[in-house]
Amino acid sequence: MEGMTYLAVAYFGMLVAIALWTWTVVQRSRRLDQRLLAMEAASTKTDGEDESKA
Amino acid sequence: MRLGETVLFVGFTGIGTTLLLALLWAPSVSINAFESPAAQRIFYWHVPAAWAAFIAFGALFVGSAGWLFKRSERMWRLHVAGSEAGLATGLMTVWSGCVWGAAEWGTPWDWTDVRLNTFGLLTLLAIYVVLGRNSQPDGVETRDTFAAFGLYGFVLVPVTYIATRIWTIRHPGPVVGTGDEGSINGEMGLVLLIGAVSFTVFIIGHMMASMRLTALEQRLERMQHNFDGGA
Repeated sequence: MEGMTYLAVAYFGMLVAIALWTWTVVQRSRRLDQRLLAMEAASTKTDGEDESKA
Repeated sequence: MRLGETVLFVGFTGIGTTLLLALLWAPSVSINAFESPAAQRIFYWHVPAAWAAFIAFGALFVGSAGWLFKRSERMWRLHVAGSEAGLATGLMTVWSGCVWGAAEWGTPWDWTDVRLNTFGLLTLLAIYVVLGRNSQPDGVETRDTFAAFGLYGFVLVPVTYIATRIWTIRHPGPVVGTGDEGSINGEMGLVLLIGAVSFTVFIIGHMMASMRLTALEQRLERMQHNFDGGA
């Protein structure tokens, strides 16, 4: 039984490791989406200001 | 949720299911054939992870060749995704192999075994490509350098694959795809198959998500450049 306990711990550790890797990828994707949206909003605002000045 | 993320989560769920089946359902091996029969179940993680690593290194090879010969941005994104996936799956394979080796052989690594060392080199190649690329500014020279490593490094994949067929030193020989019945029974084969499919789905999902990430980073860089007046 002891061997199976070690195995369960090893499996759990490996699952946590790939869950963390997956979570990092998804979070990076979300952050980049937000930065792109912010950049697009800022770009639209700047264009609008330029047009009103002209 | 994006397609890549959905595929990723389906693969992750499949991996979790595989490990549960491996722990609770797969039959035990003979205590006469193994030093550590419980540790043999690491095989349900180790073999599918190695399979996924070969897919990732295949993607790295195709992406590297596509960049070098076609100058395709899409192929460069595949190179990035393949190297990151190859690094992760390579480490999973090496780590699980070390756990099994420590339990079964009494040593986590054997420097005289060809399979172990060529696979270790492949993983080191992925570490070098990922860390090296991240430490350099993006440009044609940087891309060419790392794409060349991805292209020529692929030669280690067939060498690793045939290593246990030619030189069986410490690493066990193939148990599936040998032409005869092999040494695993139906239930073991089923768990292994579920594992291989799950890892394949998982690594494809990761590469899709990673390619999208690189595309977003490139788009953000272009927008930043335009926003700063193209200076």
